[in-house]
Amino acid sequence: MTMTDQRRKEEGALAPLFEAERRDAPMPSGDWMARMEALALAEQPAPRPEDVRSAPPRRGVASWREALRVFGGWPALAGLAAACAAGVWIGVASPQTMTTWLSTDSSTSLSAIDPASGFDYAMLGL
Amino acid sequence: MPYDAMNGDSDETLLAAYAAGDQAAARALVQRLGPRAFGHAVRMLGDRAEAEDVAQEALLRLWRAAPGWRDGEAKVSTWLYRVVANLCIDRMRRRRGGTVDLDDIAEPADPAPGAEATLQGRAREGALQEALGALPERQRQAVVLRHLEGLSNPEIAGIMDLGVRAVESLTARGRKALEALLAGRRAELGYDDD
Repeated sequence: MTMTDQRRKEEGALAPLFEAERRDAPMPSGDWMARMEALALAEQPAPRPEDVRSAPPRRGVASWREALRVFGGWPALAGLAAACAAGVWIGVASPQTMTTWLSTDSSTSLSAIDPASGFDYAMLGL
Repeated sequence: MPYDAMNGDSDETLLAAYAAGDQAAARALVQRLGPRAFGHAVRMLGDRAEAEDVAQEALLRLWRAAPGWRDGEAKVSTWLYRVVANLCIDRMRRRRGGTVDLDDIAEPADPAPGAEATLQGRAREGALQEALGALPERQRQAVVLRHLEGLSNPEIAGIMDLGVRAVESLTARGRKALEALLAGRRAELGYDDD
């Protein structure tokens, strides 16, 4: 039994009255429809380029993504984080090899970096 | 896109396009929902001027709700019927304290010879509207949605925030009350012999 048949059965003796009322549904005037159209357009939000069905990004997330892009993306951020971690480790742990390498003993450091020997200077008459 | 090309789109799709600023969607929605809101308000209130105000208010609320409308949250038609009915019930409560006595309503004029069928049709509509006006608000809403708007019981249950059985009970009581109200006018309205 279709929904219409079921409804007619429910309506019984009242069916002709309901039928007449359904046939002549009240229609609004043209003026009213024109006013409703003007109202709908007046209330309408301004057009947006993106699809309305996709949720707009939240402001905080958008600015974080922009900052990440300026720094060079995730690889650059990973390098920066690694450099920071190494700096902290050197400052806190102060490893022996690092202390030796950065020694302030001037003679050691000079001999280590001067390419000329004493023989070279003697030959040059210095 | 011209709005007649949007006939295949659902109300929800059109409302999303409306919220995105599509003017054709705005026109299509007015053409589709305007008569529906107005018709329901007329049948609830029995007064065209008041129905225009109510339908306008309901549409205005819809336009303002459009930007926050979420897909799958509610059907636009369900939402609209509910808002129109609630606005109508508010007006009916303000307008009167109780129900209208059918004896207070003027009898329709005697039909002129030769135009009997037309006048009988008008008398049927008038009599039904008068009898609907005498029903309690919720019964009237259920009967109008079921027998004049042609909605299914589950749809009506969604609009009225009731169970399907409660809707069936409301419409059954509404029909019984209408039959009682119109019993004395069966011959005049010509529905005994249909």
